Amino acid sequence: MSFDKNTNPLKLHHLVGDMEADYIYTPGVAGDKFFKALRDDEKFLATHCESCNHTYMPPRMYCERCFSKLDKWVEAESTGVVDTYSLAHEDRDGEKLAEPVIVAFIRIDKTDGGIIHQLGGVDHESVKIGMKVKAVLKDKSKRTGGLNDIDHFAPA
Amino acid sequence: MKEVLFMTVAVVGVGYTDFRSTTPDVSFKEQMFEAAAKAYQDAGVHPRKDIGSFITGAEDYWEGYSIFDEFVPDQLGATLRPVCTISGDGLQALLTGAMQVKTGLMDVVAVESHSAASDLLSFHGIVSHGLDPVYNRNMNVNPFFVAGLEMRKYLSETKASREQCARVVTKNKLNAMDNPLAAYPAVMSIEEVMKSEMVSNPLTRRDISPLADGAIVMVLASEKKAKELSENPIWLKGMSWISETPWLESRDWSDATYARLSSEKAFKMADITNPQKQLDLVEVDDWFSYKELQHLEAIGVCEKGQAGKLLEQGQFDRDGDTPVNVSGGRLGAGNLLEASSLQSVLECVIQLRGHAGKRQIKGAHTAAAQSWRGVPTATGSMLVLSNEK
Ligand SMILES: [Zn+2]
Repeated sequence: MSFDKNTNPLKLHHLVGDMEADYIYTPGVAGDKFFKALRDDEKFLATHCESCNHTYMPPRMYCERCFSKLDKWVEAESTGVVDTYSLAHEDRDGEKLAEPVIVAFIRIDKTDGGIIHQLGGVDHESVKIGMKVKAVLKDKSKRTGGLNDIDHFAPA
Repeated sequence: MKEVLFMTVAVVGVGYTDFRSTTPDVSFKEQMFEAAAKAYQDAGVHPRKDIGSFITGAEDYWEGYSIFDEFVPDQLGATLRPVCTISGDGLQALLTGAMQVKTGLMDVVAVESHSAASDLLSFHGIVSHGLDPVYNRNMNVNPFFVAGLEMRKYLSETKASREQCARVVTKNKLNAMDNPLAAYPAVMSIEEVMKSEMVSNPLTRRDISPLADGAIVMVLASEKKAKELSENPIWLKGMSWISETPWLESRDWSDATYARLSSEKAFKMADITNPQKQLDLVEVDDWFSYKELQHLEAIGVCEKGQAGKLLEQGQFDRDGDTPVNVSGGRLGAGNLLEASSLQSVLECVIQLRGHAGKRQIKGAHTAAAQSWRGVPTATGSMLVLSNEK
Protein backbone atom coordinates (compact mmCIF):
# COMPACT_ATOMS: atom_id res chain seq x y z
CA MET A 1 0.00 0.00 0.00
CA SER A 2 2.65 2.49 1.05
CA PHE A 3 4.87 3.38 -1.85
CA ASP A 4 8.32 2.98 -0.31
CA LYS A 5 8.15 0.61 2.62
CA ASN A 6 11.35 -0.12 4.47
CA THR A 7 12.65 -3.49 3.34
CA ASN A 8 15.89 -3.37 5.32
CA PRO A 9 15.31 -4.49 8.91
CA LEU A 10 18.68 -3.02 9.94
CA LYS A 11 17.30 0.40 9.14
CA LEU A 12 14.18 0.15 11.30
CA HIS A 13 13.89 2.95 13.81
CA HIS A 14 12.06 3.20 17.08
CA LEU A 15 11.97 5.37 20.16
CA VAL A 16 11.37 4.00 23.63
CA GLY A 17 8.93 6.06 25.67
CA ASP A 18 7.53 5.91 29.16
CA MET A 19 3.97 6.93 29.97
CA GLU A 20 4.37 8.23 33.49
CA ALA A 21 1.17 7.73 35.41
CA ASP A 22 1.49 7.97 39.18
CA TYR A 23 -1.66 8.41 41.20
CA ILE A 24 -3.09 8.29 44.64
CA TYR A 25 -6.23 6.22 44.88
CA THR A 26 -8.77 7.04 47.58
CA PRO A 27 -10.78 4.19 49.11
CA GLY A 28 -13.50 6.75 49.91
CA VAL A 29 -15.81 7.00 52.91
CA ALA A 30 -16.88 3.35 52.74
CA GLY A 31 -13.39 1.97 52.11
CA ASP A 32 -11.90 4.12 54.88
CA LYS A 33 -14.37 2.79 57.44
CA PHE A 34 -13.87 -0.78 56.21
CA PHE A 35 -10.08 -0.71 56.40
CA LYS A 36 -9.96 1.09 59.78
CA ALA A 37 -12.31 -1.49 61.34
CA LEU A 38 -10.22 -4.29 59.85
CA ARG A 39 -6.92 -2.78 61.06
CA ASP A 40 -7.99 -1.66 64.54
CA ASP A 41 -10.82 -4.01 65.54
CA GLU A 42 -10.32 -7.04 63.26
CA LYS A 43 -13.90 -6.60 62.10
CA PHE A 44 -15.34 -7.04 58.58
CA LEU A 45 -17.88 -4.25 58.03
CA ALA A 46 -20.41 -4.30 55.20
CA THR A 47 -23.24 -2.02 54.08
CA HIS A 48 -26.79 -3.24 53.67
CA CYS A 49 -29.57 -2.16 51.33
CA GLU A 50 -32.92 -2.81 52.99
CA SER A 51 -35.05 -2.41 49.89
CA CYS A 52 -32.93 -4.94 47.95
CA ASN A 53 -32.03 -7.05 50.99
CA HIS A 54 -28.49 -7.01 49.66
CA THR A 55 -25.29 -6.74 51.72
CA TYR A 56 -22.23 -5.24 50.07
CA MET A 57 -18.77 -6.64 50.71
CA PRO A 58 -16.59 -4.63 50.17
CA PRO A 59 -18.98 -1.97 51.51
CA ARG A 60 -20.28 0.80 49.27
CA MET A 61 -22.13 4.02 50.04
CA TYR A 62 -24.73 3.33 47.37
CA CYS A 63 -26.71 0.39 46.04
CA GLU A 64 -25.95 -0.58 42.43
CA ARG A 65 -29.32 -2.36 42.20
CA CYS A 66 -31.78 0.37 43.30
CA PHE A 67 -29.45 3.39 43.20
CA SER A 68 -30.19 4.44 46.78
CA LYS A 69 -27.68 5.84 49.25
CA LEU A 70 -26.64 3.31 51.88
CA ASP A 71 -25.99 4.20 55.51
CA LYS A 72 -26.80 0.97 57.28
CA TRP A 73 -23.59 -0.75 58.40
CA VAL A 74 -23.54 -4.39 59.51
CA GLU A 75 -20.79 -6.59 60.85
CA ALA A 76 -20.00 -9.53 58.60
CA GLU A 77 -17.90 -12.57 59.44
CA SER A 78 -14.21 -13.10 58.80
CA THR A 79 -15.15 -16.46 57.31
CA GLY A 80 -16.44 -17.45 53.90
CA VAL A 81 -16.58 -20.02 51.15
CA VAL A 82 -14.26 -20.47 48.16
CA ASP A 83 -16.41 -19.55 45.16
CA THR A 84 -13.63 -20.15 42.62
CA TYR A 85 -9.82 -20.32 42.64
CA SER A 86 -6.80 -20.39 40.38
CA LEU A 87 -3.10 -21.22 40.77
CA ALA A 88 -1.23 -18.20 39.41
CA HIS A 89 2.23 -18.98 38.00
CA GLU A 90 3.25 -15.51 36.86
CA ASP A 91 3.72 -12.13 38.50
CA ARG A 92 1.96 -8.93 37.48
CA ASP A 93 4.48 -8.36 34.67
CA GLY A 94 4.01 -11.87 33.26
CA GLU A 95 7.32 -13.16 34.72
CA LYS A 96 7.48 -16.62 36.29
CA LEU A 97 6.89 -16.61 40.06
CA ALA A 98 9.38 -18.57 42.19
CA GLU A 99 6.39 -20.16 43.91
CA PRO A 100 2.90 -20.18 42.36
CA VAL A 101 0.17 -18.49 44.38
CA ILE A 102 -3.39 -19.72 44.95
CA VAL A 103 -5.80 -16.86 44.28
CA ALA A 104 -9.45 -17.23 45.21
CA PHE A 105 -12.74 -15.38 45.28
CA ILE A 106 -14.15 -15.91 48.76
CA ARG A 107 -17.82 -15.28 49.36
CA ILE A 108 -17.86 -13.70 52.82
CA ASP A 109 -20.44 -15.08 55.24
CA LYS A 110 -23.48 -12.87 55.99
CA THR A 111 -22.88 -10.82 52.82
CA ASP A 112 -23.75 -11.02 49.12
CA GLY A 113 -20.19 -10.12 48.11
CA GLY A 114 -16.72 -11.27 48.98
CA ILE A 115 -13.00 -10.70 48.78
CA ILE A 116 -10.38 -11.71 46.25
CA HIS A 117 -7.27 -12.86 48.05
CA GLN A 118 -4.63 -15.55 48.42
CA LEU A 119 -5.21 -18.92 50.03
CA GLY A 120 -2.59 -20.27 52.43
CA GLY A 121 -2.09 -23.37 54.55
CA VAL A 122 -3.51 -25.60 51.82
CA ASP A 123 -2.19 -27.33 48.67
CA HIS A 124 -3.63 -26.37 45.31
CA GLU A 125 -4.75 -29.98 44.82
CA SER A 126 -6.72 -29.91 48.07
CA VAL A 127 -8.63 -26.70 47.36
CA LYS A 128 -12.27 -27.23 46.44
CA ILE A 129 -15.01 -24.89 45.36
CA GLY A 130 -17.32 -24.60 48.37
CA MET A 131 -14.49 -25.03 50.87
CA LYS A 132 -14.88 -23.04 54.11
CA VAL A 133 -12.07 -20.59 54.84
CA LYS A 134 -11.27 -17.84 57.35
CA ALA A 135 -9.21 -14.66 57.13
CA VAL A 136 -5.76 -14.74 58.73
CA LEU A 137 -4.79 -11.17 59.62
CA LYS A 138 -1.26 -9.81 59.77
CA ASP A 139 0.22 -9.03 63.14
CA LYS A 140 -1.31 -5.77 64.40
CA SER A 141 2.05 -3.94 64.27
CA LYS A 142 2.37 -4.73 60.55
CA ARG A 143 -1.05 -3.56 59.41
CA THR A 144 -1.25 -0.54 57.13
CA GLY A 145 -4.98 -0.10 56.57
CA GLY A 146 -5.25 -1.92 53.24
CA LEU A 147 -6.38 -5.25 51.89
CA ASN A 148 -2.96 -6.74 52.66
CA ASP A 149 -3.79 -6.43 56.38
CA ILE A 150 -5.36 -9.78 55.57
CA ASP A 151 -2.31 -12.02 55.09
CA HIS A 152 -4.32 -14.78 53.42
CA PHE A 153 -7.39 -16.98 53.86
CA ALA A 154 -6.86 -20.44 55.33
CA PRO A 155 -9.12 -23.51 55.67
CA ALA A 156 -11.56 -22.93 58.55
CA MET B 1 -39.70 10.66 14.73
CA LYS B 2 -40.40 6.94 14.65
CA GLU B 3 -39.51 6.77 10.98
CA VAL B 4 -36.15 8.38 11.66
CA LEU B 5 -35.41 6.01 14.54
CA PHE B 6 -35.93 2.99 12.32
CA MET B 7 -33.76 4.26 9.51
CA THR B 8 -31.76 1.38 8.14
CA VAL B 9 -27.94 1.31 8.17
CA ALA B 10 -25.59 -0.75 6.03
CA VAL B 11 -21.89 -1.54 5.78
CA VAL B 12 -20.89 -0.37 2.31
CA GLY B 13 -17.11 -0.59 2.52
CA VAL B 14 -14.43 -2.50 4.40
CA GLY B 15 -10.66 -2.04 4.46
CA TYR B 16 -8.00 -3.79 6.46
CA THR B 17 -4.34 -4.58 6.81
CA ASP B 18 -3.01 -8.09 7.28
CA PHE B 19 -2.87 -9.09 10.91
CA ARG B 20 0.73 -9.69 12.00
CA SER B 21 2.62 -10.55 15.16
CA THR B 22 4.84 -7.49 14.71
CA THR B 23 4.88 -4.52 12.32
CA PRO B 24 8.21 -2.79 12.90
CA ASP B 25 8.22 -1.38 9.37
CA VAL B 26 5.09 0.77 9.67
CA SER B 27 3.60 3.11 12.25
CA PHE B 28 0.06 2.64 13.55
CA LYS B 29 -0.90 5.75 11.54
CA GLU B 30 0.35 4.16 8.33
CA GLN B 31 -1.63 1.01 9.14
CA MET B 32 -4.76 3.10 9.69
CA PHE B 33 -4.13 4.95 6.44
CA GLU B 34 -3.81 1.68 4.53
CA ALA B 35 -7.05 0.25 5.99
CA ALA B 36 -8.91 3.54 5.46
CA ALA B 37 -7.78 3.96 1.86
CA LYS B 38 -8.93 0.41 1.07
CA ALA B 39 -12.28 0.90 2.80
CA TYR B 40 -13.00 4.18 1.00
CA GLN B 41 -12.01 2.57 -2.31
CA ASP B 42 -14.30 -0.38 -1.55
CA ALA B 43 -17.20 1.96 -0.73
CA GLY B 44 -16.50 4.30 -3.63
CA VAL B 45 -16.30 7.36 -1.38
CA HIS B 46 -13.73 10.09 -0.81
CA PRO B 47 -13.15 11.04 2.83
CA ARG B 48 -12.61 14.73 2.06
CA LYS B 49 -16.07 15.17 0.57
CA ASP B 50 -18.35 12.14 1.06
CA ILE B 51 -17.92 11.06 4.70
CA GLY B 52 -19.80 13.02 7.36
CA SER B 53 -18.20 11.69 10.52
CA PHE B 54 -15.24 9.57 11.67
CA ILE B 55 -15.20 7.38 14.77
CA THR B 56 -12.40 5.31 16.25
CA GLY B 57 -12.54 2.76 19.06
CA ALA B 58 -9.34 3.06 21.12
CA GLU B 59 -7.93 3.29 24.65
CA ASP B 60 -5.14 5.71 25.59
CA TYR B 61 -3.22 3.06 27.52
CA TRP B 62 -3.10 0.60 24.60
CA GLU B 63 -1.85 3.40 22.37
CA GLY B 64 0.76 5.05 24.58
CA TYR B 65 -0.77 8.49 24.02
CA SER B 66 -2.79 10.72 26.28
CA ILE B 67 -5.90 12.12 24.59
CA PHE B 68 -5.51 9.60 21.76
CA ASP B 69 -8.41 11.02 19.74
CA GLU B 70 -6.12 13.96 18.87
CA PHE B 71 -3.91 11.53 16.92
CA VAL B 72 -6.47 10.06 14.51
CA PRO B 73 -7.83 12.68 12.07
CA ASP B 74 -5.00 13.04 9.55
CA GLN B 75 -4.50 9.39 8.58
CA LEU B 76 -8.26 8.92 8.13
CA GLY B 77 -8.79 11.95 5.91
CA ALA B 78 -10.75 13.48 8.78
CA THR B 79 -9.09 16.81 9.60
CA LEU B 80 -11.54 19.74 9.93
CA ARG B 81 -14.40 17.21 10.24
CA PRO B 82 -16.50 15.67 13.04
CA VAL B 83 -14.21 13.13 14.77
CA CYS B 84 -14.49 11.27 18.04
CA THR B 85 -12.91 8.31 19.79
CA ILE B 86 -15.02 5.86 21.72
CA SER B 87 -13.08 4.58 24.69
CA GLY B 88 -14.27 1.08 24.00
CA ASP B 89 -13.98 -1.72 21.52
CA GLY B 90 -14.43 -1.39 17.76
CA LEU B 91 -17.97 -2.72 17.86
CA GLN B 92 -19.00 -0.04 20.35
CA ALA B 93 -17.51 2.52 17.95
CA LEU B 94 -19.44 0.96 15.05
CA LEU B 95 -22.70 1.05 17.00
CA THR B 96 -22.08 4.75 17.74
CA GLY B 97 -21.59 5.33 14.01
CA ALA B 98 -24.77 3.40 13.24
CA MET B 99 -26.69 5.66 15.63
CA GLN B 100 -25.35 8.78 13.92
CA VAL B 101 -26.76 7.41 10.67
CA LYS B 102 -29.98 6.14 12.24
CA THR B 103 -30.79 9.55 13.68
CA GLY B 104 -30.34 11.12 10.27
CA LEU B 105 -27.45 13.28 11.49
CA MET B 106 -25.05 11.65 8.99
CA ASP B 107 -25.43 9.85 5.67
CA VAL B 108 -22.00 8.23 5.63
CA VAL B 109 -19.76 7.44 8.62
CA ALA B 110 -16.30 5.84 8.80
CA VAL B 111 -15.46 3.60 11.78
CA GLU B 112 -11.94 2.52 12.65
CA SER B 113 -10.18 0.35 15.19
CA HIS B 114 -6.65 -1.01 15.28
CA SER B 115 -4.05 -2.73 17.39
CA ALA B 116 -0.40 -1.79 17.74
CA ALA B 117 0.06 -4.47 20.40
CA SER B 118 3.65 -5.19 19.43
CA ASP B 119 4.58 -1.65 20.49
CA LEU B 120 3.43 -2.36 24.06
CA LEU B 121 6.44 -2.95 26.29
CA SER B 122 4.33 -3.50 29.42
CA PHE B 123 1.19 -5.33 28.30
CA HIS B 124 0.58 -7.10 31.63
CA GLY B 125 1.18 -3.88 33.56
CA ILE B 126 -1.47 -2.12 31.50
CA VAL B 127 -3.96 -4.94 32.04
CA SER B 128 -3.10 -4.83 35.78
CA HIS B 129 -4.04 -1.15 35.81
CA GLY B 130 -7.54 -2.22 34.77
CA LEU B 131 -7.93 -3.85 38.18
CA ASP B 132 -9.44 -1.94 41.09
CA PRO B 133 -6.45 -0.30 42.84
CA VAL B 134 -7.89 -0.58 46.34
CA TYR B 135 -9.28 -4.12 46.34
CA ASN B 136 -7.79 -6.09 43.44
CA ARG B 137 -4.22 -4.95 42.83
CA ASN B 138 -2.83 -6.21 46.12
CA MET B 139 -1.60 -9.55 44.77
CA ASN B 140 1.50 -9.55 42.62
CA VAL B 141 0.16 -11.98 40.00
CA ASN B 142 -0.59 -11.95 36.27
CA PRO B 143 -3.92 -10.08 35.86
CA PHE B 144 -5.16 -13.03 33.77
CA PHE B 145 -5.78 -14.67 37.16
CA VAL B 146 -9.27 -13.20 36.67
CA ALA B 147 -9.69 -15.48 33.62
CA GLY B 148 -8.25 -18.41 35.60
CA LEU B 149 -10.91 -17.84 38.30
CA GLU B 150 -13.69 -17.55 35.74
CA MET B 151 -12.54 -20.60 33.75
CA ARG B 152 -12.45 -22.76 36.90
CA LYS B 153 -15.99 -21.65 37.82
CA TYR B 154 -17.24 -22.21 34.27
CA LEU B 155 -15.77 -25.73 34.11
CA SER B 156 -17.19 -26.54 37.54
CA GLU B 157 -20.71 -25.25 36.78
CA THR B 158 -21.10 -26.64 33.28
CA LYS B 159 -19.03 -29.84 33.61
CA ALA B 160 -17.32 -28.78 30.38
CA SER B 161 -13.90 -30.42 30.15
CA ARG B 162 -10.40 -29.03 29.88
CA GLU B 163 -10.10 -30.91 26.56
CA GLN B 164 -13.18 -29.15 25.19
CA CYS B 165 -11.57 -25.77 25.90
CA ALA B 166 -8.40 -26.94 24.14
CA ARG B 167 -10.54 -27.97 21.17
CA VAL B 168 -11.70 -24.35 20.79
CA VAL B 169 -8.05 -23.40 20.28
CA THR B 170 -7.37 -26.15 17.73
CA LYS B 171 -10.60 -25.39 15.81
CA ASN B 172 -9.97 -21.65 15.59
CA LYS B 173 -6.33 -22.01 14.59
CA LEU B 174 -7.37 -24.53 11.93
CA ASN B 175 -10.06 -22.13 10.67
CA ALA B 176 -7.37 -19.44 10.44
CA MET B 177 -5.45 -21.64 7.97
CA ASP B 178 -7.94 -20.52 5.31
CA ASN B 179 -7.99 -16.86 6.35
CA PRO B 180 -5.19 -15.09 4.49
CA LEU B 181 -5.32 -12.16 6.97
CA ALA B 182 -4.75 -14.36 10.04
CA ALA B 183 -1.59 -14.01 12.13
CA TYR B 184 -1.67 -17.34 13.97
CA PRO B 185 -3.00 -20.16 11.77
CA ALA B 186 -1.85 -23.62 12.86
CA VAL B 187 -2.67 -27.28 12.84
CA MET B 188 -2.31 -27.79 16.56
CA SER B 189 -3.11 -30.82 18.67
CA ILE B 190 -5.31 -30.75 21.74
CA GLU B 191 -2.39 -32.23 23.65
CA GLU B 192 -0.17 -29.29 22.66
CA VAL B 193 -2.70 -26.85 24.14
CA MET B 194 -3.12 -28.86 27.33
CA LYS B 195 0.60 -29.40 27.83
CA SER B 196 1.57 -25.78 27.26
CA GLU B 197 2.82 -23.97 30.35
CA MET B 198 0.36 -23.01 33.07
CA VAL B 199 -0.35 -19.30 33.39
CA SER B 200 -3.18 -19.32 35.89
CA ASN B 201 -4.39 -22.89 36.37
CA PRO B 202 -6.52 -24.15 34.64
CA LEU B 203 -5.61 -21.52 32.02
CA THR B 204 -2.53 -22.41 29.93
CA ARG B 205 -0.45 -20.33 27.53
CA ARG B 206 -2.27 -21.71 24.47
CA ASP B 207 -5.70 -20.99 25.96
CA ILE B 208 -4.77 -17.30 25.66
CA SER B 209 -5.08 -15.59 22.28
CA PRO B 210 -1.73 -14.25 21.03
CA LEU B 211 -1.47 -10.50 20.35
CA ALA B 212 -1.37 -9.15 16.82
CA ASP B 213 -1.13 -5.80 15.01
CA GLY B 214 -3.57 -4.58 12.38
CA ALA B 215 -6.15 -1.98 11.43
CA ILE B 216 -9.73 -2.24 10.17
CA VAL B 217 -11.97 0.49 8.76
CA MET B 218 -15.65 0.21 7.84
CA VAL B 219 -17.87 2.65 5.98
CA LEU B 220 -21.51 2.83 7.12
CA ALA B 221 -24.28 4.46 5.12
CA SER B 222 -27.98 5.24 5.31
CA GLU B 223 -30.36 3.12 3.23
CA LYS B 224 -30.60 5.73 0.48
CA LYS B 225 -26.83 6.22 0.27
CA ALA B 226 -26.14 2.49 0.61
CA LYS B 227 -28.27 1.72 -2.43
CA GLU B 228 -26.46 4.43 -4.39
CA LEU B 229 -22.99 3.32 -3.35
CA SER B 230 -23.13 -0.44 -3.14
CA GLU B 231 -24.32 -3.48 -5.07
CA ASN B 232 -24.08 -5.65 -1.98
CA PRO B 233 -24.73 -3.58 1.16
CA ILE B 234 -24.68 -5.59 4.38
CA TRP B 235 -27.51 -4.42 6.63
CA LEU B 236 -27.26 -3.93 10.37
CA LYS B 237 -30.35 -5.70 11.72
CA GLY B 238 -29.93 -5.58 15.50
CA MET B 239 -27.45 -4.17 17.98
CA SER B 240 -26.90 -3.75 21.71
CA TRP B 241 -24.17 -3.31 24.28
CA ILE B 242 -24.16 -3.99 28.03
CA SER B 243 -21.84 -3.34 30.98
CA GLU B 244 -22.18 -5.40 34.13
CA THR B 245 -20.90 -4.22 37.51
CA PRO B 246 -17.18 -3.44 37.54
CA TRP B 247 -16.89 -5.02 41.01
CA LEU B 248 -15.39 -8.51 40.70
CA GLU B 249 -16.84 -9.13 44.18
CA SER B 250 -20.42 -8.57 42.95
CA ARG B 251 -20.30 -10.92 39.96
CA ASP B 252 -21.66 -14.44 39.88
CA TRP B 253 -18.50 -15.67 38.07
CA SER B 254 -20.20 -18.30 35.95
CA ASP B 255 -22.43 -16.55 33.44
CA ALA B 256 -21.55 -14.02 30.75
CA THR B 257 -24.61 -11.92 31.59
CA TYR B 258 -23.40 -9.02 29.41
CA ALA B 259 -23.46 -11.39 26.42
CA ARG B 260 -26.88 -12.80 27.28
CA LEU B 261 -28.53 -9.39 27.73
CA SER B 262 -26.90 -7.71 24.73
CA SER B 263 -27.82 -10.63 22.45
CA GLU B 264 -31.40 -10.75 23.74
CA LYS B 265 -31.85 -7.09 22.83
CA ALA B 266 -30.07 -7.32 19.49
CA PHE B 267 -31.89 -10.52 18.50
CA LYS B 268 -35.24 -8.94 19.35
CA MET B 269 -34.47 -6.03 17.00
CA ALA B 270 -33.39 -8.47 14.30
CA ASP B 271 -36.34 -10.88 14.77
CA ILE B 272 -34.00 -13.70 15.73
CA THR B 273 -36.02 -16.08 17.88
CA ASN B 274 -33.89 -19.18 17.32
CA PRO B 275 -30.24 -18.16 16.97
CA GLN B 276 -29.07 -21.72 16.35
CA LYS B 277 -31.37 -22.02 13.31
CA GLN B 278 -31.46 -18.45 12.03
CA LEU B 279 -27.78 -17.52 12.22
CA ASP B 280 -25.67 -18.92 9.38
CA LEU B 281 -22.45 -18.12 11.19
CA VAL B 282 -21.42 -16.60 14.50
CA GLU B 283 -18.23 -14.81 15.49
CA VAL B 284 -17.92 -14.68 19.29
CA ASP B 285 -15.14 -13.36 21.47
CA ASP B 286 -12.48 -16.00 22.19
CA TRP B 287 -9.81 -13.98 24.00
CA PHE B 288 -9.52 -17.13 26.16
CA SER B 289 -10.54 -20.58 24.94
CA TYR B 290 -13.35 -21.12 27.47
CA LYS B 291 -14.91 -17.73 26.61
CA GLU B 292 -16.07 -19.07 23.24
CA LEU B 293 -18.05 -21.85 24.95
CA GLN B 294 -19.38 -19.49 27.63
CA HIS B 295 -20.39 -16.88 25.04
CA LEU B 296 -22.15 -19.42 22.79
CA GLU B 297 -24.28 -20.51 25.74
CA ALA B 298 -24.93 -16.93 26.85
CA ILE B 299 -26.17 -15.80 23.44
CA GLY B 300 -28.47 -18.81 23.20
CA VAL B 301 -26.84 -20.78 20.38
CA CYS B 302 -27.14 -23.68 22.84
CA GLU B 303 -28.16 -24.42 26.42
CA LYS B 304 -25.78 -23.79 29.31
CA GLY B 305 -23.35 -26.70 29.61
CA GLN B 306 -23.90 -27.95 26.06
CA ALA B 307 -21.33 -25.94 24.07
CA GLY B 308 -18.39 -28.25 24.83
CA LYS B 309 -20.29 -31.36 23.71
CA LEU B 310 -21.64 -29.71 20.56
CA LEU B 311 -18.11 -28.52 19.75
CA GLU B 312 -16.86 -32.12 20.01
CA GLN B 313 -19.66 -33.23 17.70
CA GLY B 314 -18.46 -30.74 15.10
CA GLN B 315 -21.53 -28.46 15.26
CA PHE B 316 -19.34 -25.34 15.45
CA ASP B 317 -16.92 -26.43 12.73
CA ARG B 318 -16.92 -24.58 9.44
CA ASP B 319 -19.17 -27.27 7.94
CA GLY B 320 -21.26 -27.70 11.10
CA ASP B 321 -24.78 -26.47 11.91
CA THR B 322 -23.57 -23.18 13.39
CA PRO B 323 -20.06 -22.32 12.20
CA VAL B 324 -18.28 -20.38 14.97
CA ASN B 325 -15.25 -18.13 14.45
CA VAL B 326 -14.68 -19.17 10.85
CA SER B 327 -12.19 -16.28 10.68
CA GLY B 328 -10.07 -17.94 13.35
CA GLY B 329 -11.20 -15.49 16.03
CA ARG B 330 -8.68 -13.92 18.39
CA LEU B 331 -7.02 -17.32 18.87
CA GLY B 332 -6.34 -17.85 15.16
CA ALA B 333 -6.50 -14.46 13.45
CA GLY B 334 -4.73 -12.80 16.39
CA ASN B 335 -5.82 -10.74 19.39
CA LEU B 336 -6.21 -7.23 17.98
CA LEU B 337 -7.22 -5.75 21.36
CA GLU B 338 -10.07 -3.25 20.70
CA ALA B 339 -10.06 -4.09 16.98
CA SER B 340 -10.89 -7.79 17.33
CA SER B 341 -14.61 -7.06 17.49
CA LEU B 342 -14.33 -5.24 14.14
CA GLN B 343 -12.45 -8.30 12.88
CA SER B 344 -15.56 -10.33 13.83
CA VAL B 345 -17.79 -7.88 11.95
CA LEU B 346 -15.37 -7.95 9.00
CA GLU B 347 -15.65 -11.75 8.75
CA CYS B 348 -19.45 -11.49 8.80
CA VAL B 349 -19.39 -8.86 6.03
CA ILE B 350 -16.98 -10.89 3.85
CA GLN B 351 -19.09 -14.04 4.34
CA LEU B 352 -22.40 -12.27 3.67
CA ARG B 353 -20.94 -10.76 0.50
CA GLY B 354 -19.93 -14.28 -0.56
CA HIS B 355 -16.28 -13.23 -0.81
CA ALA B 356 -14.76 -15.63 1.74
CA GLY B 357 -13.12 -17.95 -0.79
CA LYS B 358 -12.13 -21.32 0.63
CA ARG B 359 -13.80 -20.63 3.96
CA GLN B 360 -17.11 -19.37 2.45
CA ILE B 361 -20.24 -20.57 4.28
CA LYS B 362 -22.53 -21.40 1.37
CA GLY B 363 -25.76 -19.45 1.25
CA ALA B 364 -24.93 -17.37 4.34
CA HIS B 365 -27.40 -14.52 4.73
CA THR B 366 -27.55 -13.78 8.45
CA ALA B 367 -24.57 -13.56 10.81
CA ALA B 368 -23.80 -12.31 14.31
CA ALA B 369 -20.71 -10.68 15.80
CA GLN B 370 -20.36 -10.68 19.61
CA SER B 371 -17.67 -8.83 21.53
CA TRP B 372 -16.15 -8.77 25.01
CA ARG B 373 -13.67 -6.14 26.21
CA GLY B 374 -11.39 -8.57 28.02
CA VAL B 375 -10.12 -8.92 31.58
CA PRO B 376 -11.28 -7.60 33.99
CA THR B 377 -14.39 -6.24 32.25
CA ALA B 378 -17.89 -7.66 32.00
CA THR B 379 -18.77 -5.48 29.02
CA GLY B 380 -19.84 -6.76 25.63
CA SER B 381 -21.80 -6.01 22.48
CA MET B 382 -23.81 -7.86 19.86
CA LEU B 383 -24.44 -7.02 16.21
CA VAL B 384 -26.65 -8.96 13.78
CA LEU B 385 -25.97 -8.48 10.06
CA SER B 386 -27.75 -9.66 6.94
CA ASN B 387 -27.38 -9.37 3.19
CA GLU B 388 -31.18 -9.07 2.96
CA LYS B 389 -32.78 -5.84 4.07
ZN1 LIG C 1 -30.83 -1.48 46.77
